[in-house]
Amino acid sequence: MEASTNDRSSSFKDAELELYTIPAHSSWFVWEDIHEIERREFAEFFSESSITRTPKVYKEYRDFIINKYREDDSSRRLTFTSIRKHLVGDVNLLRKVFLFLENWGLINFLNKSDDGSMEESEAEIELGTPAGIRVTATPVSMRPVTVPPLVEERAEPAFKFSPLTSYSDVFTDLNKPLLCGHCGESSCDSAFYQHTKSLVTLCDKCGDCGENNSAHDFKLIAAAAWTEEETLLLLESVLKHGDDWELITQSVSTKSRLDCISKLIELPFGEFLMGSSSGRLRSSIPTSEDENLSSPSNPLEQMKADGLEQKETETREEKGDDHVVDEDEPPAKRKRVAMLSDGGDSSLMKQVAAMACKVGPSVTTAAAKAAIAALCDEASCPKDTFETTCDFTDFAVDRADGDKGTSDMEEQQEDKEGPQDLPVALRMRASVATALGAAAAHAKILADQEEREMEQLAAIIIDQQLKKMKSKLKFLDHLELIMDAEEQVMEGVKETILQERISVLQFAFGSGITKRWDHT
Amino acid sequence: MKVSGSTNWKGPVKFRMPTAENLVPIRLDIQFEGQRYKDAFTWNPSDADNEIAIFARRTVKDLKLPPAFFTQISQSIQSQLADFRAYEGQDMYTGEKIIPIKLDLRVNHTLIKDQFLWDLNNFESDPEEFARTLCKDLGVEDPEVGPAVAFAIREQLYEIAVQSVSSARESRLSKKSRRGSDYGSASKASGLSMDLVKLFSFKSSVVRKRKDLDVYEPMVDLLTNEEVDALEAREERHAR
Repeated sequence: MEASTNDRSSSFKDAELELYTIPAHSSWFVWEDIHEIERREFAEFFSESSITRTPKVYKEYRDFIINKYREDDSSRRLTFTSIRKHLVGDVNLLRKVFLFLENWGLINFLNKSDDGSMEESEAEIELGTPAGIRVTATPVSMRPVTVPPLVEERAEPAFKFSPLTSYSDVFTDLNKPLLCGHCGESSCDSAFYQHTKSLVTLCDKCGDCGENNSAHDFKLIAAAAWTEEETLLLLESVLKHGDDWELITQSVSTKSRLDCISKLIELPFGEFLMGSSSGRLRSSIPTSEDENLSSPSNPLEQMKADGLEQKETETREEKGDDHVVDEDEPPAKRKRVAMLSDGGDSSLMKQVAAMACKVGPSVTTAAAKAAIAALCDEASCPKDTFETTCDFTDFAVDRADGDKGTSDMEEQQEDKEGPQDLPVALRMRASVATALGAAAAHAKILADQEEREMEQLAAIIIDQQLKKMKSKLKFLDHLELIMDAEEQVMEGVKETILQERISVLQFAFGSGITKRWDHT
Repeated sequence: MKVSGSTNWKGPVKFRMPTAENLVPIRLDIQFEGQRYKDAFTWNPSDADNEIAIFARRTVKDLKLPPAFFTQISQSIQSQLADFRAYEGQDMYTGEKIIPIKLDLRVNHTLIKDQFLWDLNNFESDPEEFARTLCKDLGVEDPEVGPAVAFAIREQLYEIAVQSVSSARESRLSKKSRRGSDYGSASKASGLSMDLVKLFSFKSSVVRKRKDLDVYEPMVDLLTNEEVDALEAREERHAR
C-alpha cells in the first residue's frame, strides 16, 4: 500500500496537492501510524478488550476507506453505504470511523454534501394518510386480536378513504382553458360539457350539434367563473359540513371538488373558514355574505356586522379602509385573524379591543391613528360637538362601552333633542375617535413596557453568562494550583529516584563491580 | 473520554434494547367490522401509560376509524409493552455478538434488500441513524422507507435480545462457574461465532472477499403500480 501511494505521489507530484487535498487541521495524519487523536476517539479499539476491535482492524478500516475514496476519482463523494459492503464488522462502528474521517476532511473534503438543503426542505403535504397505515376493507371476521408474529412484511395499502386536501390537489390542473370541440372557442363563458366516453368537450351553444350524442352523455364541466349564488352556497355548505369535501361538492353542484377548495382558499377569509371548526363563525357570516362578496376588501369589518346598525357599518368601513391602506402590506394575501364574535356581544369597543389584542401594538397604533385622522377630517367641527353637548358625549361614550350598542344611543339622542344641529353620526364618530385615541395611547404604553422588559431580560442573561465565565476561570485556576502541586510532588519523586540510583552506583563501585553489565 | 459499552466480557446486563435509545418496536394488526388497521412504529417504554390512550384516541380520530378500535389499539400496545417489561427484569447476555441483519421489505413502491453486520453489544448503535444514512445515500425519496427500515432492524434486535435472555437463563442454570468463554457460548445462536475469531485474527483482513460483496450490498428497487398491486395481492393471499 505504501509503495503504491509513493508511486502515485511521484507521478502526480504537482497534481498531488490538488488530488489529495486535506484540510490543514488534519495534517497530523500519517499512513504508517495511528495518531493520538485517533486513539482517543476510538478508545475501544485500543483497549484490548475485544477480538473484533484491535488497532490492526482500525487501521485496516481507515486505510481502506481513504484509499477507496482516493482511487475512485476524488471528485465523487464517497457514501457510507458504498463502503460498508466492503468491510466486515459492526456497521455502527464503521459508520463512526467513516464520520470521523469525513469530519477531519480526510475523505470527501472536496465534495461536501448539502445537508442543509435536506433539512430545510419543506414538509411535503401528502395526499391521504401515509401509505404504511392503511385501513382495509376485509370480510367481517371476529377473530380475536392477537399480536401477530414478528414477520418482516410491510403494511399493505388497500382501501383509501377520503383524502385530505393537499397543495397539489388544489393548485394543479387549474385554469386549463377549455376548448370547445366544435366551435373551437375557449373564451365563451357558457358552461362546458364533457362527454363521458370520449374526451370531447363542447360548449353550451354547440351542445346540440353533436351527432349521435344524446344529452345524457354529456357531463357538465363547471365554468371557471363563480357566480355569487355559487359562492354563497359554498360558504354555507362549508359552515355546515366543515371538512367534508364530498358533501360540499354535492351542495355546490356545479363545481368540482378542486374548484370548491381553490375558491375557498382564494376568498379572503376562506382559509380560516376551513381551518376553524364549523361552528365558530356561523353566527357572523350569514347576514353579511352579500356584502362580503361585493366588497372583499373589508371582510374583517364585515364579519363583525352581526346585528349592528347601518351607520356603524359605515364607520367601520371607513376604518377598515384606513386599516387596509395604512398597513403597507401587499394586498395579495394578508393574514386574517379569526374574529371571535360570540353571540350577542357585539359592541364596537369590545371588538376593537379584541382586534387590538390579536394584532401587534404597532399595527394597532397605526390603525388607530389613521382612523382618527379620517374621522376628524370628515367631521368639520368635532369640537363643536364636544363643547355644545359635552355631557352628551360623555353619556355617549359611556353608552358606547355598553352592551346595548348604539341603537339605544340613537333612540335616546333622538328623544332628547328635537332638532339636531349635528347629525348623530358625527357625535358617534367623535366618541369613537376618542375611544380609539385612548386605545392607541394604551398600546403605546404597553409597547414601551415590553421594550423595557426585554432590555432587562437581556441584561440578566448577559450577567449570567459573565458569572458562568468567571466561575469557569476560577475552576481553571484551581486546577492550575493542583497541577502545580502535582509537579512539585513529581519533582520530589524524581529526586528520590535519583538519590537511589546514586546510592546503588556507589554501592556497586564500592564493591568493585564495573558499571556496565554486558551479559552475553 | 467515554469508553463505549463493548468489552469482551461483561457481567450480564439488565435487559434493554441494545441501541442508543431504548425504544420498543410495536406492531399492530387489528381487524374489526370489515376494517383492518395495520401499523408499525416504535414506542418509548418509559412514557407514561396514559400516553397510550392519547395515541390511540388520536389515531382513531385521524383515520376516522370506528370507536371500537380505540380499546383494541390500546390493549394491543399495552400487551406488547407488558411483554417487553416482563423481560426487563431479567439479565441478558452481552458478549461479543456480531450478527447479520437482513432487510427484505417493501414500502409503497420501494423494495429494499440488504444485509449487514450488527454488533449486539454496541449499546450506542442507532437504527434510525443507520436508516437515515441508507436512504440518503441511495437517494430514496419516499420518506416512509427510513422509519420502516429502522423498525425492521429494531424488530430483529428485539428478537435476538429476547433470545439472549433465554440463553442467559439456560446457561446460568446449566453451568455453575466457568465464565471464561462467555462470548463463545452466547453467540452460539449466530453462525458467526467461529468466523469472528477467524476474521478478526491477526492474519486475515477485514476487507470482505469479493464473492461476498453481492450479499452485503444494498439493493433498492422501484416498483411500478402494477407490480405493487401484484405483490399486495400475493401477500393478502398468504395472510389468509
